[in-house]
Amino acid sequence: MNAAAVKSPGLSVDDRLNPILVKEVRQALRGRYFRALFWLTLGVATLVGLSVTAQFGAHSLSESAGEAFFMVMFACLSAAVQGFTPFSAFLSTSAEWDENTHDLLVLSNLRPRQIVYGKLLSALVQALLYYSTFGPFLVFAFLLNGVDLRVIVVILAGSMAVCTSLTLLGVAAASLSPAKAPRILLMALFGVVLMIAWGMSLSVAGVLIDSPQVLRDPMALTGVGAFICSALVAGAFFAALAVARLSHEEENRSSGMRALSAALVLLAAGWGAWFNGRFGEHQAIFALQLGVVAPLALMWLFFLTEPERLGRHVEQHVSRNPLLAFLTLPFLPGGGRGALLMAFHMCAALLGAKLALALDPPGPLQANRTLVVILAFYAYAWVYIAAPAAFASWFVESARGRIVVRMAILALLPLVLLGPPLAGLLFSIPSWIDFLHPFNPVWAARELIDRGTNPLGMALLWLGLGVAVLMNAPRMAHGMREVFVASRRRRERSAAQPPQS
Amino acid sequence: MKLLDVRGVTKTFGKLKAVDSIEFGVEAGQICGFIGPNGAGKTTTMRMCATLEMPDTGDVYVDGISVLEEPRLARRRIGFMPDSYGAYANTTISDYLDFFARAYGLTGAKRRGVIERVVEFTSLGDLLDKEIGSLSKGMKQRLCLAKTLLHDPAVMILDEPAAGLDPRARVELRELVKALAQMGKAILISSHILTELSEMCSSVVVIERGQLKGGGAVADVVRSFNSTTQLFLRALAGPEACERRLLESPNVAKVRRERDGVAFEFAGGLDSQAELFAELAQSGLRPIELAVRDSNLEDIFLSLTEGKLQ
Repeated sequence: MNAAAVKSPGLSVDDRLNPILVKEVRQALRGRYFRALFWLTLGVATLVGLSVTAQFGAHSLSESAGEAFFMVMFACLSAAVQGFTPFSAFLSTSAEWDENTHDLLVLSNLRPRQIVYGKLLSALVQALLYYSTFGPFLVFAFLLNGVDLRVIVVILAGSMAVCTSLTLLGVAAASLSPAKAPRILLMALFGVVLMIAWGMSLSVAGVLIDSPQVLRDPMALTGVGAFICSALVAGAFFAALAVARLSHEEENRSSGMRALSAALVLLAAGWGAWFNGRFGEHQAIFALQLGVVAPLALMWLFFLTEPERLGRHVEQHVSRNPLLAFLTLPFLPGGGRGALLMAFHMCAALLGAKLALALDPPGPLQANRTLVVILAFYAYAWVYIAAPAAFASWFVESARGRIVVRMAILALLPLVLLGPPLAGLLFSIPSWIDFLHPFNPVWAARELIDRGTNPLGMALLWLGLGVAVLMNAPRMAHGMREVFVASRRRRERSAAQPPQS
Repeated sequence: MKLLDVRGVTKTFGKLKAVDSIEFGVEAGQICGFIGPNGAGKTTTMRMCATLEMPDTGDVYVDGISVLEEPRLARRRIGFMPDSYGAYANTTISDYLDFFARAYGLTGAKRRGVIERVVEFTSLGDLLDKEIGSLSKGMKQRLCLAKTLLHDPAVMILDEPAAGLDPRARVELRELVKALAQMGKAILISSHILTELSEMCSSVVVIERGQLKGGGAVADVVRSFNSTTQLFLRALAGPEACERRLLESPNVAKVRRERDGVAFEFAGGLDSQAELFAELAQSGLRPIELAVRDSNLEDIFLSLTEGKLQ
C-alpha cells in the first residue's frame, strides 16, 4: 500500500495530543452538525448585529447602542458555547453507545479520564472557534462604548467556566446509561438545563452591563471568583462521575469522587477563611460549609451504599506502607470506608471552620455557634444517610438491592420533612405546619443561630450522631481491617519475591 | 501453553445464569470454535474473556494475566471483535485506524508502520479515503479485524465475524483467520456457520444454556461423540420399504427419510454392520447405495445440544 495514503503526520506534538481530541475535531470538521451550527450562529449574529446598528443609526451610535450590540452578540455566543457545544459533547458521548464503539474504546489503552478529557478538550476547541469568531464583534461593541472592559472580561470568563462545567455535565449525563430510552430522557433534561443556564447567563450579563460599578466592589469580585471556582468544581465532579461510569467494574470507581468530595470541603473552608479574614464575614464560614453539604449528601449516599468488599483489582493497589494505607483508608471504595470518609469530612469541616474563625475571631459565642451549626448539619446527615445505609448493609448485598436502598434513603428526606407538617395539620401544631420542626435541619440551624444552643437540643443531636456512628462502627472497623490485611499481603508478597539484580 | 485460560467462570444476570462454571483453554496457534445455539452464553463468555463483563466467580487468564486482577494489562494482549460492529460517523478508514492506533499508544513512525501492515494484511489499501458508512459489510468486517490487529494481540476473540457475509467474504475471512493462527495467535471464534468452523478450527467448545457440553480437538470431539455410525441407504424398493425394513433391525435408531433414501444411526460394531449390509442386500429391497457418513460439527452440535433457549 501507499505509505503516504495513511494520514498521520509524525510530529511529536501530534503524538502527544489526546486521541479523542484528534478524532472528534476531525469528525466535527467533516460532519454537518458543527459546520451548520457554526455558520448559522455567525449568520444570525451578523444579521441581528447589523439590524441593531441600523436601528440606532450611524450618527446616533451611543452607549446604549454598544450595550445592545454586546447583548445581542453575547446572546448568540453564549447560545453556541453554553448550548451547542455542551450538547454536541452529550451527543458525541451518547454516540459511543449507539455506534457500538464504547467497548472498543474501553478495550484500548485509553484510560477513562483520557476519554472524558478528550471529549472536554474537543468541546473547548469548538468553543474557542466561536470565541475567536465573535472576538471582532465584541471588540466592536467595546469601541461603541457602553460596556466596561472589566465587565466583558468577567462575562467571558464566567461563560468559559460555565461552558466547561456544562460540557462535563453533558459527558457525565450521556455516560450514565447505555440504554437508549433513559438517554433520550437525560437528553431532554440536559436540554432544559442548557436553556436555564443560557437564560441565567443573559440575566447576569444584563445586570453587569447595567451596573458595572458592582465589579469595583472587592466583595463582588470575590463572589465572581467563587462562582467561577464553583462552576469548575462542579465540572470536576461531573468529570469524576463520567470517569467512574466509563471505568471497568472491578476497577476503583470511587477514589476519584472521594478525593473530590474532600477537596470540596477544604475549598469551602478556604473560601470561608477568605471571606472572614478579608471582610469579617464569619457567617460565610458555615454558609459555605452548609452549601457543600447538599452535593456531598448525594455523594455520601453512593459511598455509604457501596459493596463492603475491596475489589480484587483495587486490593492489588493498596499501599504496602501501613501509614499510607491508613491515610488512604477513607478514599478507598467500600460502604464502611464511606462512613470513615464522612467522619473525615466532618472533622475537616469543623477544623477548617475553627482555623477560619481564628483569622478574625467574632467572639466566643458566635464562634461556638458557627461550629455547632456545622456539627448539627453533619449530625443530621449521619442520621438521615449513614444510619439507614448501615442498617441496609446488614441485609442487602446485590447491586439491585443497593439501588433500592439509595432510592429509599432519597425518599426518606422529603418524608421526614413533610411528615411533621401533616401531623401538625392533624394535631393543630401551627409551627410544624410551617416546617418549623426538629426533623428539619434548616430549622435546627436557624434555631441554633438565632437562639443559641439548648441542653435538650444538644443532647438529642449528640444522641443521634452517636447512634448513627455506632451503627456504622462494625463496618468501619471491617473496612479498616480489610485495607490493612491487603497492605500486609502486598508487603509479604514483595518480601517473598527474589531481589532483582 | 494456554494463552487463553477460562477457569470455572460463572455469570448471572438477575435470576438467569447466563454462564455456569465454564472451563476451557486456547493455546498459541490454535483456532478454537465456540459453538452453541442463540442465547447459550457464547457472547457473555467472550465478553468476560475480553474484560468487558465481570465473572461472578472464576477467572480468565490471558497470557497468564488475570482479567480480574489486572484488566488493563490483560486488555493489551486481547484483540476483541464484537458481534455488533462499531464505527464512527464522518470518519474515513484512514482516520479510523489512525485513531485506534493512537488509542493503543502507538506514535509517529511506528504508528504509520503498524497501520501500513494491517492495511496490507486486510487488503484495505485502496479504500483508505472512503468513509466507513459507505463500506460493504465484508469491508467493515475487514476494517474491524484490522483495528483488532493494531496492537498485535496474543489472543483474538472474534464474536460471529462471518455473520451476514457473502460466501466470497467468508472464504477471505477464513483465510485471514488461518493466517493469524499461523502467526502464533490464540483465536477463539464463534459462529453459527459450522461448516466454516470445521474447516478452520483445530478445537471446539460446545455450550448450551450456559453449560459446557463438550470440547477439545475437533477430531477428538467427533470421535468421542461417535458411539453410533451414521448410515445412508437408497434402494429401488423406495424409502418407505427401506424404513420399514430398518425399523425391524436391531441396533438401528433415528431412521429418517432424506431425499429418495433413508438416513439412520447404527449402534453395533463392525461385525454387526457387515451382517446388516448382507441382510439388506438379500432382503429384496434392491439397494443401490449404502454409505457410511462422516460425522461433522453440525451433527455433533445437534446431538450435543437440545436447541433450547434460555
